[in-house]
Amino acid sequence: MGFDAGRFPVPVREDLTTALRRSWADIGRPGTWWTGPERVAIAALARAERIQRNEPPWGRNRGEPDTALPEKAIEAARKIGADPMHLDREWAEGIIAEIGDARYVELASVVVTTVAADAFCEAMGIGPEPLPEPEAGEPTAERPDGMGDIGAWVPVQVVDWKRANVARALSLVPEGVRTFFRMVVAMYSGAATDFEKMVWDHRPLSRPQVELIAARVSALNQCFY
Amino acid sequence: MLLRASSQAAGEEVDLSAAVEDAADGGVEDGAVLTAFAEAVVRAADGLDAARARALETLGPAKFVEAAATVGIFNGLVRVADSTGIPSDAMMLESTADVRGDLGFNRWAGARASGVAEAPA
Repeated sequence: MGFDAGRFPVPVREDLTTALRRSWADIGRPGTWWTGPERVAIAALARAERIQRNEPPWGRNRGEPDTALPEKAIEAARKIGADPMHLDREWAEGIIAEIGDARYVELASVVVTTVAADAFCEAMGIGPEPLPEPEAGEPTAERPDGMGDIGAWVPVQVVDWKRANVARALSLVPEGVRTFFRMVVAMYSGAATDFEKMVWDHRPLSRPQVELIAARVSALNQCFY
Repeated sequence: MLLRASSQAAGEEVDLSAAVEDAADGGVEDGAVLTAFAEAVVRAADGLDAARARALETLGPAKFVEAAATVGIFNGLVRVADSTGIPSDAMMLESTADVRGDLGFNRWAGARASGVAEAPA
């Protein structure tokens, strides 16, 4: 099942472990553009690279990747996983030219889900969750309607959008949004009505305490957003 | 910046430089413990075990889990923004215009996606 309560050194909310468990299982399932084995391979590459994040990219022990993923997909999984502050439009456009915009977005969604879960485990002081067993099946290859250009490197949802831009960054692959933002709700924002409040009473930490952590993590990653 | 907005809503004055300085408390309760914990995880620092133990001892189990969850999910959220080049929201740009330059945010690579980049220092 994964993320068993007994692995954690202190009690963890059930809604949090449930969200982690469900999103983790999603990684192993056929996605919209990648198969289950490909998605698990992407997660494995991101994890292996991020573990070595304190080494420069040229000094990391990579070995021969045990995957048939395209070379540019391997590069993207590693770089998004370990070096987010060094991503730029020119680099992303080079990756997208080779693998396509939707495959790039789905790859990013798998990486961010993996990294968030791994970082949580590191913070809790436990080892990383074993990657899910990949499931058989074909990707759905469904491209959503209503995509447009707002200046991002990838198309995003533009119809009647009223929420923060980051929530539509992965919208070219709605399944990736569901997988990752299920964890966002459980690990940070709570329900939309909670998020809009500046004074929180739905979490043990005050909102300024949560936002201080958020600001520090963002700054350490040199994330402008 | 939600740190400033939420602090103002709570009637507190936050020092935003805590976002860019090591182990700073920013005027937030247990702030130095929280930032030191976040830094140790992001940097995979040798002091992670000590920072974790101090966070657990200071905060207690329930708040410690929330701190760990926040560290975890923001390691994902920064990659969502930075892998897609998503521009910042207009309201955020407006509300941080007075501090971004001083804190160095405008020199980060992601500032280009929002049209406010300054040359790196």
